[in-house]
Amino acid sequence: MNKLKIPAVLVLAYLVLPLAVNGNDYVVSLIVAALTIGGIALAWSMLGNLGGMVSFGHAAFFGIGSYASALLTIKAGWPVLVSMLFAGLVAAASSIATMPALRLRGPYFALSILAYAEIFRIIATEWKGLTGGAAGILSIPRLPEIMGIDLGGKIGGYFVVVTLVIAMVGIYAVIRRSPQGLALKAMHDSEDATRVVGVNATMLKALMLVVSAFFAGLMGAFNAHYINFLEPDYAFSGSWTTLAIVAAIFGGYRTLWGPLIGALVVYLVDQLVFKAILPQGHQIILGALLGAMVLFSPTGLTPLIAKLTRLQRKETANAAH
Amino acid sequence: MANLLDVQSVRAGYGSINVLWDMTLGIPEGKLTCILGPNGGGKTTLLRTIMGLIPASAGNVSFEGRDCTNEKTWNMVSQGVVMIPEGRMIFRDMTVEDNLLVGAFPKKCRARYKQNLDMAYQMFPRLKERRDQLASSLSGGEAQMLAMGRGLMEEPKVILVDEPSLGLAPVIVDEVMGILDNLRNQGRTIVLVEQNTNKALAIADHVHLVRGGKVVLSQDADQVDLAHLHDLYFARDHQNAS
Repeated sequence: MNKLKIPAVLVLAYLVLPLAVNGNDYVVSLIVAALTIGGIALAWSMLGNLGGMVSFGHAAFFGIGSYASALLTIKAGWPVLVSMLFAGLVAAASSIATMPALRLRGPYFALSILAYAEIFRIIATEWKGLTGGAAGILSIPRLPEIMGIDLGGKIGGYFVVVTLVIAMVGIYAVIRRSPQGLALKAMHDSEDATRVVGVNATMLKALMLVVSAFFAGLMGAFNAHYINFLEPDYAFSGSWTTLAIVAAIFGGYRTLWGPLIGALVVYLVDQLVFKAILPQGHQIILGALLGAMVLFSPTGLTPLIAKLTRLQRKETANAAH
Repeated sequence: MANLLDVQSVRAGYGSINVLWDMTLGIPEGKLTCILGPNGGGKTTLLRTIMGLIPASAGNVSFEGRDCTNEKTWNMVSQGVVMIPEGRMIFRDMTVEDNLLVGAFPKKCRARYKQNLDMAYQMFPRLKERRDQLASSLSGGEAQMLAMGRGLMEEPKVILVDEPSLGLAPVIVDEVMGILDNLRNQGRTIVLVEQNTNKALAIADHVHLVRGGKVVLSQDADQVDLAHLHDLYFARDHQNAS
């Protein structure tokens, strides 16, 4: 069952879905946006689930990644794919500046990292010589053409983002299974207890923040080259954080695939269904839905589906007897 | 025999509240040293200071002849000083086996985690039965065993056990004491902090009585006069206080 799951996901992601929606540019662009948010949600969950820290500041890492990659390609003339990776590193490095916040816990950490995000947005707005200020950056280079596939096109962008998020899930799975992952999981029970068993808790939390920032920055870099335009209020917009948090919690942020599934469901349903019903303020339905999810299945959608399928299987087994 | 762990004139406390005033004691290798004393005397504070969980403001702690005063807790653990904390501090949201595996986190024990896991299960068969259960579902005695098993996964040279009998039924207390007795007989060095004098004396090699942040009595366990110990324990020594 589990062995079939991974190839099934790959076939779905690389064959079925692209064939099904190719040509429908609107739907493709919605899926790309959903996966971009899914990527941030995944990065956010790495810190939230393993580090036990709820961040309201991931828009900062997303914004830094997008600006870094845009500037590296425009000003330094780097190839797009290389500068995207490097932009992830820049975002990771910038997270070091936010590390004093790690001394705080719970809502205090969340608020202080929100303040950090604001600082980065202001820097991007005011440092006009580098970033172009509030006017933003226009005509950011597109993704290149590789092996006859134009990655800069709609469906090409889809292939890039789907590869990025699947790679992230893979790395996340490896981290979760490592001794460090286990120690991090133990940490949200009691940090003192993990110290007593020989875990350098501060160091591990800091590492998780760096990894999480790297991936958020990578998603930002992808987005910059995909939409070819940046301005501070867009790149550092708080909705990159909130949408990702909603998606992660809705999908089940403690699970491997939850954040991604959450992002796809939340974003697509919101854009395709709720927006049609309620063109203005359609997010309110989303809010109600999230509230209901937290009330009825606090662990999120993915564990809920798993539970329902288990129940159903039991019922069919009982019926067969 | 040389002391494995030495505490020299240590002073420590919590912020402006000082608890340990002038703590001096040695822990000989391969023995079970018992630290007895009333509540608030500084027993737990002593263990926490040794582990580097709270800083010592004066004096020093040395392990295997090396100074390790105010060393980071995780470095103490990887050197082989392991604490089994009061109230067990198990990871309630994780399975029994994952709890044990977290114990194997220090780099030097990762390679042998399989052998150590088998050893822990052999010593505590009940943990093996419950390996896939959440730790929160364990009884008090089982939780204490899990905490001890987790400590053993860390390949300790000295085990600091903080009040293992707390909140356990008398039968379970006997079982826990029996396990500590066994561990000592296998050659491990154990420091046992207890309030249950009778049970602790039965297995101890040496006894320190701690009161008011100082050691007020230090004797081999077989020389202890229980009546005298209890007088000191309950501070009925005003007449001949030194």
